[in-house]
Amino acid sequence: MPMLSRLQWAISLAVLALLLALPFLLPSFWTGNIMGRAIVYGIVAMSLTFLASYGGFISLAQTMIAGIAGYTVAVLAPTAIPLGNHWLPYWALIPLAVAAATFAGAVVGLIAVRTREIYLLMITLALAVGFSLFAQSNIDWFNGYEGIRNILGPDIFGYPFRNLYVFYYSSLLVATALYFLVLYVVKTPFGLVLQGIRDNPRRVSAIGFNVGVHRVASFALAGFIAGWGGVLITFYNIGITPGSIGIWATVNVLVMAVIGGLGHPIGAFIGALVYTLFDTFAATIYDRDRFNTLIGLVFLVIVLVSPDGLLGLFRRLTGWRTGRSVATETMEEKT
Amino acid sequence: MIEAPRRKPIANPFPAPAGKGIRKQKHSTNEIMTASQQSNPPPAPDAAVPALRLEQVGRRFGALQAVRNVTFDIARGERRGIIGPNGAGKTTLFNTICGDFPPTEGRILLFGEDISRLKPHLRARQGIGRTYQTSLLFTGLTVLENLFLAVRGAMPNRLSLLKPGAGDAALAKARDLAERVRVSNIAAEKIDTISHGQRRQVEVGMALASDPKLLMLDEPAAGLSAGERPELVKLIQDLPRDLTLILIEHDMEVALPNSDIVTVMKDGEVVVENTPDRIADDPVVQAIYLGGAH
Repeated sequence: MPMLSRLQWAISLAVLALLLALPFLLPSFWTGNIMGRAIVYGIVAMSLTFLASYGGFISLAQTMIAGIAGYTVAVLAPTAIPLGNHWLPYWALIPLAVAAATFAGAVVGLIAVRTREIYLLMITLALAVGFSLFAQSNIDWFNGYEGIRNILGPDIFGYPFRNLYVFYYSSLLVATALYFLVLYVVKTPFGLVLQGIRDNPRRVSAIGFNVGVHRVASFALAGFIAGWGGVLITFYNIGITPGSIGIWATVNVLVMAVIGGLGHPIGAFIGALVYTLFDTFAATIYDRDRFNTLIGLVFLVIVLVSPDGLLGLFRRLTGWRTGRSVATETMEEKT
Repeated sequence: MIEAPRRKPIANPFPAPAGKGIRKQKHSTNEIMTASQQSNPPPAPDAAVPALRLEQVGRRFGALQAVRNVTFDIARGERRGIIGPNGAGKTTLFNTICGDFPPTEGRILLFGEDISRLKPHLRARQGIGRTYQTSLLFTGLTVLENLFLAVRGAMPNRLSLLKPGAGDAALAKARDLAERVRVSNIAAEKIDTISHGQRRQVEVGMALASDPKLLMLDEPAAGLSAGERPELVKLIQDLPRDLTLILIEHDMEVALPNSDIVTVMKDGEVVVENTPDRIADDPVVQAIYLGGAH
């Protein structure tokens, strides 16, 4: 059961090499505000894709879980305004934030352990909206509507995290590690059981596995992934607000995941990149403030032409099977 | 998050006569034993306790009584055929035994232990293996991955985050199983690319993976072509003789030669129970199968 074929390894390494060289080839705006941003949001989208692709669970709580990691960092960060000057250093704070997100993921999984499909969607959406409203109304910890500012991130080898290269390479490192973690995990007994639950939960019980425990564990792992994304997004935005984890942010992450394709974790990053490009250049392409119309149209076209996103489109054009898509599968079941 | 292998302490409702051997595992897990009970040897795995005992088992879905008042014993090593027309409640009876739809009435005892209230995965760990009438396989995984999971499900440390290496015991066992159910040539194929007949063979392999004490086959030959059928019948005949087997089969040609005793069900109830050579001549059975000729 190899993780990747030889061709896939070759392509992965080539893409990685390109990504490593990119800061020297592109203007700094592109490195930070396009590629860097796509990578950090892509991590959160990948946590959604992981659950959808291998577990068959569509969770809208991933942005909220990223937000829990983000708020954990922001509330306790040394430089935070207005709450700041805490003694906890970043090297302890970041793992704490990721642990909090992992725990939150497990709690979401536990709450939703018996629900499927539309009900799972509704429960996770309710949790997401609930948490952002809580953050918005809580002044003492979260500073309400304004959120928490001046979260600068750690210094790495003496360089500030705000340094373009430090931010870009740190994000790329984290994203690559998490991406390969997902590819590894889905070949372990845990990951195979997860795919078994996607295909047939009844059979999973019949051969002796506890479906509930595996579901909760998969949400915890997705929380771990989203947590890293949340921490990096908070550094990217130099802070966090309730709006950045609210319903619109949730929808944006879902749009990224669907545009890219829910069939394979790489789809999340492709979707995030496409989304970021439109978000950034909508004003120059069409008109100011028409971003939502444009991305909405792009979304519609992609979903109509290829229900399994750009990855599915690519796969159909090239006849190359990179993985399996939830969208095509549900369509097959219906026919 | 690691799931510990566990075995719920279940009081044995059928204390065996004194003087038989002691089952150590049971002794250590049974915490509610009194001192006087401890002086008597606890229940032994003797042949008198049936492999499966159903006591007035019933299953109701709303107003529909799908299974009603089913009582029978299946001895260790016995091969039991269950036949009957469509809608007789055969598959529902299987579901009450394996726990997918637990019984709404009555008790089910597996080797003397009451399993009526256990969740399906815990019943599987008690030694029940089953197949489904329509193949329920993991269609996105390969044949080998399906069998590997079925083997892993019967082992401790089920929730593992370590990828199986080349020398993995469960993987080796899955390969043996693939050999045994004759699918090793397609082991690397995904389930959604293999034929119906091959899926039926993988179904049986999945049920055998845990080395079950009780194997339940639900119409294993359903939908097979005349060419594929003998392969599967051979598979059933080659099963070890000490394995207790329940076989639901619509087709008497398959059911009768592979059963020691045949139970006939109709409208959720057991109507006849007899040996295969007598069952074909039974007036009730003929009435059911020949549309009321008698």
